[in-house]
Amino acid sequence: MNAIIARPPVRALARKELRELRRHRMIVATAAILPVAFLVLPVANLLFYDPARAIGGPDFAVGQAMFCFFLTPVIMPATMAAYGIIGERDQGTLEPLLTLPLSDRELLAGKVAAILLPTLTASFAIYAVYMAAVAAVVSEPVRSPALDWTWPFGLLLTGPLLALFSTLTGLVFSARSKDVRVAEHLSGLVLLPSMLPVLLIVTRTIEPSLLTWLGFAAVLALVDAALWKTAVRAFDRERAISTV
Amino acid sequence: MKGAEPAIVCEAVSRRFGERLALSGLTLAVERGEILGLLGPNGSGKTTTLRILATLLQPHEGAARVLSFDVARDAMEVRRRIGVMPERPSLYERQTVEANVSFWAEAHGLADPAGAVRDALRFVGLEDRRRDPVGSLSKGLKQRVALARAIVHRPPVLLLDEPSSGLDPSAAAAMEGLIRDLARDGATVLLNTHRLAEAERLCDRVAILREGRLLRIGTPRQVRAALLGHIVEVELAGIVDAPAQRAVESFPAVRETWWAPSAIRVRLADAERDTPELVARLVSAGARIIAVRPAGDLERAYLELMSQPLPGSLAA
Repeated sequence: MNAIIARPPVRALARKELRELRRHRMIVATAAILPVAFLVLPVANLLFYDPARAIGGPDFAVGQAMFCFFLTPVIMPATMAAYGIIGERDQGTLEPLLTLPLSDRELLAGKVAAILLPTLTASFAIYAVYMAAVAAVVSEPVRSPALDWTWPFGLLLTGPLLALFSTLTGLVFSARSKDVRVAEHLSGLVLLPSMLPVLLIVTRTIEPSLLTWLGFAAVLALVDAALWKTAVRAFDRERAISTV
Repeated sequence: MKGAEPAIVCEAVSRRFGERLALSGLTLAVERGEILGLLGPNGSGKTTTLRILATLLQPHEGAARVLSFDVARDAMEVRRRIGVMPERPSLYERQTVEANVSFWAEAHGLADPAGAVRDALRFVGLEDRRRDPVGSLSKGLKQRVALARAIVHRPPVLLLDEPSSGLDPSAAAAMEGLIRDLARDGATVLLNTHRLAEAERLCDRVAILREGRLLRIGTPRQVRAALLGHIVEVELAGIVDAPAQRAVESFPAVRETWWAPSAIRVRLADAERDTPELVARLVSAGARIIAVRPAGDLERAYLELMSQPLPGSLAA
C-alpha cells in the first residue's frame, strides 16, 4: 500500500481528505474529545490508585489504563471511515471524484492514509503524554508496571494494525451502505467484539510478552491484508453512485 | 491521442437499470472541437450517456470511445482526458474555491498545479474569490467553480451535464460564453441541456433522445428544417410590392408562400441551400430587407418531435 500512497494523485486525495476532516466539526469534536478522555481517565486512575480499595492488583489497574490506549486507534477511525465513501455520495462529490484518474485501490489508499495519519498521531501523542505523566506524578506500586517496556512496544506494533483494521472495516461498510449511520452501526458491531484479544492481553489472561505482541501483530496483519482485499472488492463504482 | 477518429464515438450503446432500458443502441460521433448538445426529456438517457463516457457506468452492449480509448477497457486513459461537470456543482462546500480546484490539479499530477489553478480561476472570473469557502457562493458562482475544476487539467474533451441548470439569465449567458471560449480553444464539448434556445445558439449539432433512443441528430438548422419544414421569414422595410412578389414566385426552389404587408414566409426546397439565392433575388427586385430568419425555433421543432409517436412504439 505504501507504493500506492506515494503516487501524487493519492497524496492529493489524502491531503484533500485531511482538509475535509479538519473542517468537519462533528468529526473534529469526536476525534479531539475521545483521546483527551482516554488520557485523563487512565492517568487519574493510576494517580489515585489505592491498594486497599482497588479491585485487582497494580497490574490490573495498569491493564485497565492500557485498554484505553488500544481502544483509541480502533474507535477514532470508525466515524471517519464510515463517512469515507457514503459521505462523499451524500454530499454529491463522489461522482466527480470517480472521474479522476485514480484506480479503486488508489482511491481507497488515499482515504486510508488520511484516516490513519490523525488517528496514529493522536493515539501515540496521548500515550506519550500518559507515559510522561506516569513518570512524573504516579507512584508505586503502579508506576513500574505502567512503565513496563512491553506496553509501548505492544502499542507501537499493534496500534497501526488496529487502526488499519478499524479503517478498512469502516470503509467496507461505507462502500456497501446507503446511509452513513448504517455504516457506523455495522462497523461498530464488528469492531467491539474484535477487541476481545486486546482485552485478554491487558487483563493478563494472556501474558503481554514480546512473543504475545508479535503473534498478535502477525494475526492482525493477516486480517488487515484480507480486509484490504475485501474493501477493494466491495468498492463498486456503479453501486457507490447509485442512490437506490 | 490515437488516430483521427472523432473525439467521442458511441457504437450501438445500450444500458439497462434492472428491467428498464435507459439507453437503446445509441450510435453517435462527436467530431474534435465540436459542441454537441444532447436534448431530451427527463429519463431520455442523456445523463446515462454522459456517465458512460465519464467511465462512471459501463455499457451493457455496444462500445463507447473517447479519443479512441474504450471507456470500459481503458478507463484510466479516458479519465486523464476528460473534464466532467455534473448537474449539481458537487463541490467540497467547507473548502475554499482554490482548495477545490487545487485538489483536481494535483490529482491529475500537473507539473505546475498552482499555475493551472490560477489560469482556471482567471478563466471563469473567480480569481478574486479564491479564498472564499465554496459554501458561501451563489449557485452561479459554484457552477463556475465546477467548470474551473473540470478544465484545470486542460482536458481535450468536456462532458457537461446541464451546465446552466438553475442559473439566472445573466449567469447562464456567462456560462454559455465560457463554454464557447473552451470550444474555440479546441475542446470537444458534449453537453446535456434542457435550455433549447441555449442549445440553438451554442451547439454545432444537437442530438435529441427519447426513452433511450436517438431520434434526430444534426445542426439546429437541419433539425428545425426536418421537423418544421424549410420555411424562412423575410422581413422588409416597406410593403411587399409586385417586383418582390414576382422575384419570389419565379424562384424554382419556392414550394409555398404566405404574404403579409411587409413580410414574406417562404417554404423552400432546402432552406440552407436556397436562402442566399432568395435574398439575392429580392434585393435585385429592389426589396429592402430588414431580417431573414428561419420560421420557428429549435424549441418548436423539439416539441413537434416529442408530440410524434416514438418510431417502433405501439403508441398511436
